[in-house]
Amino acid sequence: MKQLISLEINGHEYDVPVSPRDVLADVIRKKVGLTGTKKGCGMGDCGACTVLVEDKPVLSCITLAITCNGKKVTTVEGLTLPDGQLNPLQAAFVNHGAIQCGFCTPGMLMSASGLLKRTPKPTLYDIKHEMSGNICRCTGFKRIIGAIELASEAMSKGVK
Amino acid sequence: MFMNNFEYFAPKTPGEAFELVGRLGKKAKILAGGTDLVILMKDKIVSPECLIDITNIEEFEGIKYEPGKGMVIGATTKNSEVQYSEIVKEKYYALAYAAGEIGSSQVRHMGTIGGNSCNASPSGETPTPLVALGAKVIVSSAAGDREMPLEDFITGVRRIDLKEGEILTKFVLPEPAPKSASRYAYMGARDANEIDCVNMAVNIELEADNQTVKSVRLVMGSVFVRPLVSAAVPALLNGKKFSDELVEKAAEAAQGEAKPITDIRASEEYRHTIVGVLARRLLKEAFAAAQEV
Ligand SMILES: Cc1cc2nc3c(=O)[nH]c(=O)nc-3n(C[C@H](O)[C@H](O)[C@H](O)COP(=O)(O)OP(=O)(O)OC[C@H]3O[C@@H](n4cnc5c(N)ncnc54)[C@H](O)[C@@H]3O)c2cc1C
Repeated sequence: MKQLISLEINGHEYDVPVSPRDVLADVIRKKVGLTGTKKGCGMGDCGACTVLVEDKPVLSCITLAITCNGKKVTTVEGLTLPDGQLNPLQAAFVNHGAIQCGFCTPGMLMSASGLLKRTPKPTLYDIKHEMSGNICRCTGFKRIIGAIELASEAMSKGVK
Repeated sequence: MFMNNFEYFAPKTPGEAFELVGRLGKKAKILAGGTDLVILMKDKIVSPECLIDITNIEEFEGIKYEPGKGMVIGATTKNSEVQYSEIVKEKYYALAYAAGEIGSSQVRHMGTIGGNSCNASPSGETPTPLVALGAKVIVSSAAGDREMPLEDFITGVRRIDLKEGEILTKFVLPEPAPKSASRYAYMGARDANEIDCVNMAVNIELEADNQTVKSVRLVMGSVFVRPLVSAAVPALLNGKKFSDELVEKAAEAAQGEAKPITDIRASEEYRHTIVGVLARRLLKEAFAAAQEV
């Protein structure tokens, strides 16, 4: 039996019919059509499916969509600034070469967004500790960490 | 990877939740953060007909501390909140640290402290420090509340003393003794998203002389079917002046009590060795920290 739930995704209201068993990642990708969010392991281990729910990083592959009824969801598509420019975190990833194949990037960006919302000036330990649930198979972790440091600096100087 | 279909309920009040849990009985599973349950459902290890989501009930959530009395932590409080809470860090350090070592940031923002104990995995992160800190649980139903020490609530591997119609609603932690400190440590293959092969927590209280152990509690995880409270370590240390020789004896005694098994994560022998390593380290760390209080 489908039920109608309402999600506020990246500032837009969506009313979507879901089965209780539908996971948030599938609803975002297949029903809403935002395919930036990736499905990796499907079991919560790799972090590729990370989105923010109420500004907190969660794994959309093991989150039941129905539990998010009425909540605010942010996906990688929601990071871009209103004028279409990359936000400072996205720009730092591009400029610092923190992207190789790109599959883990949306999840990395969302975890890093969650981290920077809570801790605008994270230490190296904070970054490693709070990003450890996102796996990059190209093993480009060093540049990802560097990009988050750069983004934090840029944002502290007021770059939007 | 696909779950069976089920009916979903999201009660908003404790009364509604108790009514549902009581009425649906074995057909239903309680859903908190889902980080254990959804995985089991995806693997088709469990296929409940109904899920009762208890995360929309304010009364089951949050951290409250009253000086001199202690702390109450609601069962649906997220592990990340326990990790970040300044008052938990200050008063119950071992617990804040352990909560911060669960899985990953995402898993901590989803999973709840109640779910961690109800899942009753021997390698679970937070039951070990909670037991060391003397935590009691409150399990509630339409008929009222029951209270018991957490070490009695967890009865075995994935087994808890939860009767039909009951929900774990709170953890109650006593106010820490004046000259006391708690510490937690674990050993595993890597830091993130892995399962501990041994974990341990120590809670130590000193006499006014800053040298004599007034009381100590050492709890081991992942080396028995449930959190294992050492009887031998307090017997050796209570009332004695803390010394390296005594720590050696205490570590050996803890090794003697642990009953580890060999599995995919570590051999019995390795776990046995690690119990000694962690006991030595934690006793010294907790002692040094208690001296500073
Ligand atoms: C990738 C990954 C990594 C992980 N790493 C770790 C780790 O390092 N250490 C660790 O300890 N755990 C780890 N876990 C397990 C999990 O995150 C924790 O056990 C978490 O605390 C479970 O809480 P939950 O709210 O998600 O529980 P749920 O999955 O919602 O529930 C778990 C079980 O408890 C029952 N339950 C939950 N709450 C209540 C309640 N209040 N009353 C009665 N029954 C209840 C449910 O019915 C279910 O049977 C990991 C999980 C994942 C997916």
